[in-house]
Amino acid sequence: MPWSRARILEEAEKCAYCGFCEAACPTLPYGRHRGYGPRGRVALSGHLAAGGQASSEVLVSLYTCLTCAACTLKCPAGIDIPSLVRAARSLVAAAPHKKRII
Amino acid sequence: MVDVKLILSLLADNVERTGYPVPIDPRRIYSWAEPLKLPRGGRTVLYTGALYQLVPYINSLVRHLESLERRKGGGLALRLAKTVGRIVDLGKIVAKADPSEVSTVEKVLTSIANLLSAAGVEYGYLYENDLYSGVLLYDMGLDEAFRRHAGKVAEALKRSGASLVITVDPHTTHVLRKVFPEYVERFEFEVKSYLEVLAEKGRRLPVKTPSEPGYDVVLHDPCFYARHEGVIEQPRRLLALAGLNVKDPAKSGRMTYCCGGPVEAISPSLSKRIAETRLDELRAVGGRIVTMCPICYANLRRAGGEVEDIALHLSRRLLGA
Amino acid sequence: MPSNPKRLLEDLKSLLGRNKVIEDEAIVRLYSREPSGLESPALAVVFPETTGDVSRLAKYAYSHDLRLFPQGSSTSLSGSAVPLDEGVVVTFEHMNRVREISVVDSITVVEPGVRIDELNLELAGKGYMFPVDPASSAVATVGGAINSGAGGMRSAKYGTMRDWVLGLEIVLPDEHGSVLRLGCRTLKCRQGYDLVRLIVGSEGTLAMVTEAVLKIAPLPEQVVVALAFYPELRDVAEAVVAVKEQGVQPYIMEFMDDRTVEAAAKTVEVSVEASGHMFLVGVDVNREAAERTASWLSRTLSSAGATRLYVAGTVNEAEERGFFTLRRSLLPAQMRVAREITGSPRTLVYIGDIAVPPSKLVDAVEELRSLEAKYGLFTMIGGHIGDGNLHPAVGLDPRNKEQARRVEEWYLEVMELALKLGGTISSEHGIGLLKREGLRREFQHLGSEKALELMKGLKRLFDPKGVLNPGKVV
Repeated sequence: MPWSRARILEEAEKCAYCGFCEAACPTLPYGRHRGYGPRGRVALSGHLAAGGQASSEVLVSLYTCLTCAACTLKCPAGIDIPSLVRAARSLVAAAPHKKRII
Repeated sequence: MVDVKLILSLLADNVERTGYPVPIDPRRIYSWAEPLKLPRGGRTVLYTGALYQLVPYINSLVRHLESLERRKGGGLALRLAKTVGRIVDLGKIVAKADPSEVSTVEKVLTSIANLLSAAGVEYGYLYENDLYSGVLLYDMGLDEAFRRHAGKVAEALKRSGASLVITVDPHTTHVLRKVFPEYVERFEFEVKSYLEVLAEKGRRLPVKTPSEPGYDVVLHDPCFYARHEGVIEQPRRLLALAGLNVKDPAKSGRMTYCCGGPVEAISPSLSKRIAETRLDELRAVGGRIVTMCPICYANLRRAGGEVEDIALHLSRRLLGA
Repeated sequence: MPSNPKRLLEDLKSLLGRNKVIEDEAIVRLYSREPSGLESPALAVVFPETTGDVSRLAKYAYSHDLRLFPQGSSTSLSGSAVPLDEGVVVTFEHMNRVREISVVDSITVVEPGVRIDELNLELAGKGYMFPVDPASSAVATVGGAINSGAGGMRSAKYGTMRDWVLGLEIVLPDEHGSVLRLGCRTLKCRQGYDLVRLIVGSEGTLAMVTEAVLKIAPLPEQVVVALAFYPELRDVAEAVVAVKEQGVQPYIMEFMDDRTVEAAAKTVEVSVEASGHMFLVGVDVNREAAERTASWLSRTLSSAGATRLYVAGTVNEAEERGFFTLRRSLLPAQMRVAREITGSPRTLVYIGDIAVPPSKLVDAVEELRSLEAKYGLFTMIGGHIGDGNLHPAVGLDPRNKEQARRVEEWYLEVMELALKLGGTISSEHGIGLLKREGLRREFQHLGSEKALELMKGLKRLFDPKGVLNPGKVV
C-alpha cells in the first residue's frame, strides 16, 4: 500500500542524522549538495510530508535517487530509504501539475 | 536536470494512452517470440513485462536528452518542452531506436526462452498480453496511474490461466513479486525470475560440454536482484555450470554498486558518471563483464562498457547458440 | 549581518559564483542540524572550491559583519556544527581532494572535505593508514575531525587528531581574509608557539582550515583479535591490567557493559555467544609472532575470569567470525533501546564523552549505574577502555520537556563524576554548545578559571568581530 503522510513522517523521524548512509550512496559524490544523498533525501521526504514546499532542488533530490538501497544496509535506524523516497515522490506526483503539456 | 514534473506527466500520459512509457508499436514487444512458435498461456507463463524490448527506445530518448543537456542556452526543461511538447514528437524521437540494439534485446529474450525450453520447463507465452509492468510509474511515485495499470496487467495474467509467472529482469521480478500484491487485490501468482527457475533445474540443464575453453566473467549484480529479491547465488551457479570462471568486483552481492541507470531520464549526465565509476571497478577485475538487467546493460554500454547479458553467455555455452 | 538578505545572497554569488551558493530553504536546513538533535536555521549554504574562495568569503564576512559556520559532515555530537543565529554555513564538501601522499616523508596533504575512510582507502594501497578512526569515519571529514579534535578506537595506541596534524593552511576572518601556513611537513617542528595544535579542536571558532598536512602510519602487518565476556566489571579491569603488564600497547581495546551487550545482541545477528561485559582486544604483531601472541592473550584473558573467549589470528578472520559486530552495533542498539523506552519515533540519543584514568574505569561505570537509578534513565555504556574514554548514552524524546530536563541534569552529573575521578568532560567529541557549562566546571574543578579568560582572549585575537562559529566552546 502507498504510505500515508503520517507513515512518511514517522519513518523520516527515525533518522538520527548520523550520515553513515552517505558513504554508500552512488549519487552523492556527483551531486551539488547533501540533498543528493540518503540523509538529505530522508529529511526532505519528511519535509514534504509535513507540507513543506516541493522546490526544484527538493524535486531533484528525490528524483535523482536510484532506489538502489545501498544506504539501507548502513542505516543504524533501519530506515527503508528507497520506499520512503518513493512514498515522498507519490506526494509530488499526486500534486496537480499546472502546465498541461499534451 | 530535467523538469521532473514534465517527465512525470509525459510518463503518466503515455502509459495511460498507449500502455507504454515511450511510444512503441505493441507488436515489437512480442514479435521476437513468433519464430519460436511458443504455445499460448498455460499454467506457467513467460512474462517479459516489456522492459528489455523498451530499452532501445528509452536509449534513444536518453540520447536526445543528453544532447539537450549539452546544448547551451535556456534550461533543459524548456528545451525539452520545446522538442517534446506533444506525444507525436516524442514518438519521432524514440522511433530512431538503434536497430542493432533492438536485435540484441530480441536475441536475449530468444536465448532466455530457449534456455527454459531446454531445461524442460513447460511454459507458454503471453504474446499481445505481455503488457508493460508499469514499474516506472511505481518508481516515479505515480501511484494512481500505477494502480490502474497494474490492474490491467493482472487481468491479462489471469486471462492466461497462469499460476506461475516467469520473469526475465530484476525490476519486473521485484514489482510483480513484492509490489503488485499490495496494489492489486488477490494477486496470487507465484513469481520467479528465469534465473531462479534455471538454477532450480540445475543438473537437469542439458549441459553440452562447450567446445571452446571457459573464460573469466565479471558479474555485475543488479541492485533489485541482489538487495531486494535475494537473487545472488543463482546466476553464479549457472555461469559455473556453463564452464565459466566467475569473478566478483569489490562491491558485489548484497553490497553491489548501482549502474546509475534508474536516473538516466532525470539526469543523463549524473547517470553516466555513476556508470563510469562502476565500469572502472568492473574493469579492474579483468574478465568479460556480464549483466542481468536491461537497465544495467544499457547504462553501462552508454558509458562505453563492453558488457553482455548473462542469457547470451548461458545460451552460447549451454545450448551452443 | 547585512540588513538585506537578498543583497547578501547576490553579494555571495558574485563573490563565489552562482553555483556555489544555495538558498533553497529546504536544502539549507540539511546543513542546519546534527545527530545531537540540535537544529537552527541559516540564511544560505556556500560551497567554496578553493582557498581563494574561502579567503574572499572571510574578508566579506569581516567587513559586512556576517556570521560564518564552517562545517564538515555534520556528525558532531556536541553542537559544534549547527549554525546558531543568522549566518551562512560554509561547507567544505567540494574541497575533497587528496593532494599528495608521500611514503618517504610519512605524510599526506589533503583538503578539508576528504572523508577519513576515503583517505584510508587511498593510503591502504600503499600499505599505510591514517590511524584516527572516529566511529563516524565513513562520513566524517578530515577538516571536521581536525576541528573537533577527534579520536577513535585506535586512540589508546595512536592518540587523537592533535597527534597527527603536522601543518595547516588556514584562513583568518580579518580584513584581508589572510591565508596563513602553519606548522611543517616534517615530523619535528619547533615553530614558536604551537598554533597548529591551537587550531586542532578549536571547532571552527578561530580560523577556517583549507588544507592539512597529516602524518601517516604503516598498516600493521597483522592484528590478533580476542573477544571475551566477563560476569563482573572488576574482571574486565583485571584483564586490562593483565594485558598492559605484558608490556603491550594494544591496537584496540573496547568495552561494552552487560546490558548494552544484551541490547546489542537483540539488535544485530551475533555469531558468538554474547553475555556479560564485553572486552574486545586487538594486538598488532609481526606475522611470525601471531601464534605466540594469540596464546598469551587467551591465557591472560582466561585467567582474568572470562566465561567466554574467542580468538582470531587476523582481522579478516575476526571479521568473518563476527567479533566486531557487537561493538559496531553500539549506536544502532542505543537507538533501538532508546526508541523502545520513549515509545516515540522522534528519539534522540544523548551520548556522553567522558574520560577517566583507566585505573578508575570500574568506579566510573559503577557510578554511572547509580546515576541511572537516580534519574530513571536507562543508560547504555560502551567505550574505549584502553584510554578510559566512556560513552554513556540515554535516549529521549525532545518534545518531552520533563524528560529533556532530566537528561540535561544527568549529563551534567556525568561530567561531574568524570572530574571527581580525575578525568575530563570531553575526550573526542568537543565542547560545542552542549558542554560549555561542563568546560567551565572542569576549569573550576582545576582551580583554573583564568584558562577560560585566556581562551576568550585568543578568540578575540583570531576573530575580533566574532565572525566564526559564534557561541561555541567559550
